[in-house]
Amino acid sequence: MEKEMIKVNNLVRYYGTDGILVKALNGVSFNVKKGEFIMIMGPSGSGKTTLLRILGLLDKPTKGKYTINNLDLVDLPEEERNYYRLTQLGYVFQDYALINEMSASENVYVLSLMEGKSKKESLFDAKEALEKVGLGDKLERVPNQLSGGEKQRVAIARAIAKKPKILFADEPCANLDTQTSEQVLEVLNTLNKKFGQTIVMVTHELWHTKYASRIISLRDGLIISDKKRRDGFK
Amino acid sequence: MIDDIRVGFVSALSSVKRGNKKTLIFIIFVLALIFMNLIFLPSFIGGISGMFTNFMKYPYGDIVIEPGGDNIYINNADNVLQKIRAVPDVKAATKRLDVGASIEYNQKVVGSTITGLLPSEEYEISNYPYIIKEGEFLGDLARDEIILGAMLVEGYFGSEIYDNLGGVRVGSLVNVTYSNNVERTYKVKGIMEGTFELVDLNALIHYKEIEDVFGLNESKATSVVVKLEEEGDSKEVKEKIISVGVKEPVFTSDEKSDAILRQAMQSIDMINVVSNLVSLIVGAALIFIIIYINTLNRRREIGILKAVGITPNSIRISYVFISMFYVIMGIFAGLILYFILMFYFMKNPVMFYETIRLTPEIQSGLIIKSIFRMLIMSVVAGFIPAWFVTRKSILEAIWGR
Repeated sequence: MEKEMIKVNNLVRYYGTDGILVKALNGVSFNVKKGEFIMIMGPSGSGKTTLLRILGLLDKPTKGKYTINNLDLVDLPEEERNYYRLTQLGYVFQDYALINEMSASENVYVLSLMEGKSKKESLFDAKEALEKVGLGDKLERVPNQLSGGEKQRVAIARAIAKKPKILFADEPCANLDTQTSEQVLEVLNTLNKKFGQTIVMVTHELWHTKYASRIISLRDGLIISDKKRRDGFK
Repeated sequence: MIDDIRVGFVSALSSVKRGNKKTLIFIIFVLALIFMNLIFLPSFIGGISGMFTNFMKYPYGDIVIEPGGDNIYINNADNVLQKIRAVPDVKAATKRLDVGASIEYNQKVVGSTITGLLPSEEYEISNYPYIIKEGEFLGDLARDEIILGAMLVEGYFGSEIYDNLGGVRVGSLVNVTYSNNVERTYKVKGIMEGTFELVDLNALIHYKEIEDVFGLNESKATSVVVKLEEEGDSKEVKEKIISVGVKEPVFTSDEKSDAILRQAMQSIDMINVVSNLVSLIVGAALIFIIIYINTLNRRREIGILKAVGITPNSIRISYVFISMFYVIMGIFAGLILYFILMFYFMKNPVMFYETIRLTPEIQSGLIIKSIFRMLIMSVVAGFIPAWFVTRKSILEAIWGR
């Protein structure tokens, strides 16, 4: 394991809805080393998704500090946050979040185009990423022609095509059956083990943790446990 | 920005390629009708304007010189003619004398303008010799003959609108009382029909006869009418005529028709402007609603696109491209419909009084202008709804808060 990559210090996130204050995070602190596969667990309302959104730069904390490689991301201007998210972070959503009119390869390569790469280079990256997740033969399929597991693998390919520093995954298996979930988790596991990809994933399924190197449990916006797996990967 | 455009284009292309084809066809069809409306009505108005301008060439040729100030006549019209005939692009020129008179036949009397002209010169100047429906045009020696306009003769075009001379026919004798009370009798040599009041309420007589009746000399004229070569530009030639020393006021036929038809054309133009405006608003509203509903339905998708790093600008550009695609296809389809209708109406003109043929005029300038208007409309109508939706934060767009 390498030095600490992510440093989260006393993150607080409050929501105000109709005069009711929702305390989603109440001061969360932890660090992540390069190459870790962290799973964040906890019951509904524990703050795990809020934490992941803040880490993925989709939301801002009310208070606290968050750095990646010593770069303070909390106070980064909006445009720079967008650019950082585009170039340095990968995000996998629960419900795949693919563009239905785009083929698998288009869904993936459009982000490389956004980064300013040529079409040829972008296509190459997309193909490579889709091959990594086992979809090298389904480049031209549109989401409607793919199964749930395949869609999620396209979403993972989209997130990893740009070779992000960290891959965030928000309950990527929530809509999948056990067998398909296993396939998706295997893909993430391979990315982590073979390519050293740092992954932070939110899940509520205990059996998913067999793939994790570290498990952080939340309750009521606080970390109640932070444990490393000692028994290796399955 | 270039990356935004590239991503916007790829996104729009896939959306159009794999979007609902039936909806696409419907949108294109409606936009085609909107575009056609922008150019179809003006084409007919252009046809009306062109028709009137052609009518004006009977009395005014391509260019007309009239007496200046309070003068009744152009003095020494031959001198003016000599100068004009030397101007490049002038094909022919002639002098005319218009006088007021009453014509009587079988106790029926009508007031009319009688134009005294030089018959042989008119063949190159006006259509008068070519619109004789009955009988013949005047000869150069015919001093006791008259040509009557169709509206003066019962049974001819428009004769029921005004008083006419009843059953006068070619060969009939009519009495003419001029404004100076000189009376003369003429034999009707022919009846002309130009399907236009300025022609058909008039009568034609030899120039020399009018000179004689009014005791005029030194080649006086109430107008000098000029016909240009085909390539001649009336505005340019007008300037040249002025520059060779013609002191009398010089008008092009467009200026003359403008003066006479301005009010009517202004009213028609107003209808046209309103119609165009309504078409553009309907088109913009259609695209706006389509794109707005589309963006609302895809609000979450747009949020996700932003979340994965796609810039709001590229999303907006993508919708502008989609909107432009709809409009470009609508323009193509509209042009096809337009040319089919134009072809039909050119083969089957709209008829008035069974003689006036109104054919639409294809105006390339108008078509280009309308294409530009539609394209600008598409950019605005595509951008605004996309801008509304992409302004929302990622959290609001995806999770509604």
